[in-house]
Amino acid sequence: MMRHLVREWRFLLGQNNVVILLCLCCALSSFAIYSGHQEIVAQHFTIERLQLAQQQDQQDILAKHKTPGSLAYYQFHLTYQTPSHLSFAALGDRDLYPWKHRIRMLALEGQIYESDVANPELAYIGKFDFSFLISVLAPLFVILMLHDIIANERNKGRYELLVVTASGSVVLWGYKTLVRFLALSLSMLAPFYIGSALNDVPLYDVLHVSILVLAYLAFWAALTLWFGRQSIFAPRIAATLIGFWVAVTCVIPITGNLLIEKNIEVPKGSEILLLQREIVNQAWDIPAETSLTEFVKTHPEYRVYTEMSEGFHWKWYYAFQQLGDQAVAHLAFDYRNAILTKFDLGGYIAMFAPPVLMRRQLSRMAQTDVISALRYEQSIRDFHQALRLYYYPYLFELHLFDESTLADMPQYSDFARL
Amino acid sequence: MKQNLQSIQPVIMWKIARDEWRYWFRSKLAVVALLIGLTCTMSTVVVSVGDAFELEHQRGHAQQQSEQTFVNQPDRHPHRMVHYGHYVFKTPPPLGMVDPGVDSHTGNTIFLEGHRQNSATFADQKQSSGTTILGALTPAFVLQVLAPLLLVIMGYGVVSRERETQTLSILAAQGLGYGNLILGKISALLLVAMLMLLPLAISGIVVLSQGESLLTLSLFLVGYLLYLSIWILIIVSISLWAKSNSVSFSTLAFTWLVLCILMPRVATTVAGVMVPAAGKLEKDFAVAAELRQLGDGHNAKDKAFVQLEAELLKKHKVNRVEDLPLNFRGFVALKSEAEITSILNRYAEDRMHEELRQSFFARQFGWLSPQVALRTLSMLTAGTGLETHHRFLRETENLRFNFVQRLNQAHTNKLNYIDDMNRNKSEAAGQIARISAKNWNVIEGFKFRSSPSKERALQAMTPLAQLLLWFGMFGLFLRNLQRHYS
Amino acid sequence: MKRNTQTLPISIDAQQLVVTLNNKKILNNLSFQVSSGEVYALLGGNGAGKSTALKTLLGFHKPVSGQAVIEGLAVSTSLSAIRKKIAYLPENASLYPHLNAFENIEYFLSLAAVHKTHAEIKISLQQVNLQQDAWQKPLSKFSKGMRQKTAIALALLRDSPILLLDEPTSGLDPVAIDEFNQLVMSLAKQGAAILMVTHDVYGACQVAQRIGLLRDGALVGEFVADGGHQIDTEQVHKAFTAGVID
Repeated sequence: MMRHLVREWRFLLGQNNVVILLCLCCALSSFAIYSGHQEIVAQHFTIERLQLAQQQDQQDILAKHKTPGSLAYYQFHLTYQTPSHLSFAALGDRDLYPWKHRIRMLALEGQIYESDVANPELAYIGKFDFSFLISVLAPLFVILMLHDIIANERNKGRYELLVVTASGSVVLWGYKTLVRFLALSLSMLAPFYIGSALNDVPLYDVLHVSILVLAYLAFWAALTLWFGRQSIFAPRIAATLIGFWVAVTCVIPITGNLLIEKNIEVPKGSEILLLQREIVNQAWDIPAETSLTEFVKTHPEYRVYTEMSEGFHWKWYYAFQQLGDQAVAHLAFDYRNAILTKFDLGGYIAMFAPPVLMRRQLSRMAQTDVISALRYEQSIRDFHQALRLYYYPYLFELHLFDESTLADMPQYSDFARL
Repeated sequence: MKQNLQSIQPVIMWKIARDEWRYWFRSKLAVVALLIGLTCTMSTVVVSVGDAFELEHQRGHAQQQSEQTFVNQPDRHPHRMVHYGHYVFKTPPPLGMVDPGVDSHTGNTIFLEGHRQNSATFADQKQSSGTTILGALTPAFVLQVLAPLLLVIMGYGVVSRERETQTLSILAAQGLGYGNLILGKISALLLVAMLMLLPLAISGIVVLSQGESLLTLSLFLVGYLLYLSIWILIIVSISLWAKSNSVSFSTLAFTWLVLCILMPRVATTVAGVMVPAAGKLEKDFAVAAELRQLGDGHNAKDKAFVQLEAELLKKHKVNRVEDLPLNFRGFVALKSEAEITSILNRYAEDRMHEELRQSFFARQFGWLSPQVALRTLSMLTAGTGLETHHRFLRETENLRFNFVQRLNQAHTNKLNYIDDMNRNKSEAAGQIARISAKNWNVIEGFKFRSSPSKERALQAMTPLAQLLLWFGMFGLFLRNLQRHYS
Repeated sequence: MKRNTQTLPISIDAQQLVVTLNNKKILNNLSFQVSSGEVYALLGGNGAGKSTALKTLLGFHKPVSGQAVIEGLAVSTSLSAIRKKIAYLPENASLYPHLNAFENIEYFLSLAAVHKTHAEIKISLQQVNLQQDAWQKPLSKFSKGMRQKTAIALALLRDSPILLLDEPTSGLDPVAIDEFNQLVMSLAKQGAAILMVTHDVYGACQVAQRIGLLRDGALVGEFVADGGHQIDTEQVHKAFTAGVID
């Protein structure tokens, strides 16, 4: 077996166009891994800088505001989602959904949809990362490399001689294909291994990605070979395969997307903001007792503390901020649910579109897809809730607020990733 | 034997072109590919035009509602209205129905309120199902990425098939001039290109009826035609150079892959690496630090306004703030908003500048790929690029500043200072400290229009130059390939 | 028609082969036999079915009826075993143009899982009279005759009991044809069964012990060499062209 592999490997090295293609693949993969790595390193640095700035900011605010009410109003808290180990390979939607956010104790629904978008012109085109290379480009390379193996021999009149001389079709075509397939796959995986080492990716994940990539490319290789046997005209074979690629990369995903869009109702994001604004602003016009009574329904422990001696009390202010959030909670929930449903349905579409499937898998593994974004959003909500629970006793004057209580203020931490 | 211009005979060219079409009609692959290509263009144009109308209607309606809601608010303390804020919606420009550009990735809603500049939210892309990889199937995408592929599939063999069947040497021996042969083949492919552009041209009529100018529409269409012509030149050149059909096809498929699929993303990735832009959040800290220096505009007693108070007292020749003919709190709010806005604007301009630098860098890749050049030209001419988004941000900022300051003006002139200071004392006091709802008519009707057509045409000159260079390059290359023929 | 009375084992046995391609009957009950140590020339004009006959024996076409038996094994059942015993020289003998003679031979031998040393390949190349200074040149620089010789060298190294040759002398100059004929005859003397498909009457008469005349997919005549003499060229030529003039 080794002899056959060596023979075909030597043969491959003698074919200039194949060697050029392999070098190009390796170069592209290196570029993709490099730029992905740079991006993630930059993100880590950004988080560090933000944490420093946050500390500074926090000190300034604490120096200036001493009461819980104004402190809660002016102080921003930093939340963020550190990129996972594999993010360098699949940047995913991290340039679409925010992975950092500053929030304060005001109504969350008014803050959480702010986006820290990257340059929209760059985001719209998308980045060239390892995931894109493998899902979209690699199939084309597989097609270009393998489509004319058989047709070429037929054209040059060597087909019969080869078939008759070889001791079996596996020896003849199998090793040729295997060598090309392995060379192509490895030329693209090698930079990934280097990137994985630099990013401390656990060995299990590296293996997992390798198997995924090999299986995916094997699918395309098998398809190419099957078509390759049908015709002696190499261009026709390649054109048909490229047509198939266009179908599963563009047509099916887009049609599927359209179907999903038409069938899933997503509440308009602007509706959430508008409704929330209405409730919060209305609260200024209605009697304070109404708001506080409403608030006490969900926080009965403050029932006796709702006395308003003046027209304005911070406790009333934050109470109606929470009411604003509660009023739109169902809309926000529907919005989030709709996104999740769409994502799940997209999974079904992906079964007919291998490139989409591959991309989703890699993004899932790198935790850079919309599921991770929603998890991050949930962590922000949880943190905001913790903030509220921390502040309410002081706002409603159950306890006294002083320097020592500051130590108990919730700090956001990027919890261990699943 | 070099052929000079005088021996170009249109009749012979026409015969060559007609023969190529006959070959295509007899080739299953060519017919299928052509039908699929035409169907794609047609359907995307029809769907996009429909979508654009619906979108315009939706957002226009939402805009109207937003304005109504604001104006219909009851009597209130004016500062409440400053925080109540106003929503504006971005409507896409007429050519946006063909090339939506960055619209799916920018938000289309902005919330305008006092003391803050918010970013646009709820980009459509955020609530998509995440299945699309290469982007939406817009007419722009079909013509920029899929049309060249169609031309490659149909045209890879224009010369190489003649070479393989050895009819090329027969034609040469019969005296067929190089120019006639090449121009004939080009004409055949040009007809395919025109068929693909036809739905676009037809949608141009709709676009004109929506108010787009003829100048930008023509520039837009010329850009696309030029782009497809460049591809035709590339195809004919490689078909001539290649030794066989399969070499021609492989080379062309590879070229298409590099120029149309790979290059655009390489451009954005390199731009991201070479011109890193800090996110808004980082700037927010710096902004917050600067703003803190200004003092709290809600608190007229803040130390920062002591001097202001002194000046005003002096100017109106009174001793107490209560005796001023205007509401000092409102005056402070006016001043404060102006100062905050100038700081925020400074940062916003910096950020926009940074983004432009990044985009500018990415657009330079138009010298390396005609598709990048066309995409830039298309977005700039249609008014769906970054510049237009920035224009939207600036215009909405103007709107914001104007209505906020008008409210603050009303605060200063129409609300009594003492009532204002006592507003929190009791429920009844809160009711007194309000002004009439008639003051809410400060919102002008907002309709966003992209920049004037001459300005857009001028911006599109660079990508146009890139396309012309490509055209010239391959035209020259083709002329010099004559030795491959005879 | 005289039949050879010597009893040599039959290597190639075509039995009533009927082959249709694209709904057209190419081989029409074709039957012939080639014994080991014998050179059999299948002579026919264009479209007579020569190449089809050869390809059927090689297993590329499946006969509608009849069968081909090679060294006692049926082509329909034992194809891979049979292919191990056959050396094939295709028309135009195109090998890999970017490899030189050595590399080409090594490649094909490796495919056949046949191991030959460098020295043995050298001997083979010498045997076919391929000039030494050409051995390291890529085949793209070879003339047709040189390529033919390389292909024959490959066939020799297979040590096959059966050789199938498709128009081996088309496009060769007279000197090369002579060299080729010598080689073929020496191979036959060593016991190989050689089936040669050609339309070269003169060449066939020079080497073949038996000539089969193929017309419209069937054997219309067979000529046998008398003892040590060649078959009469005139006779064959007349019979060959007879059908055309009729």
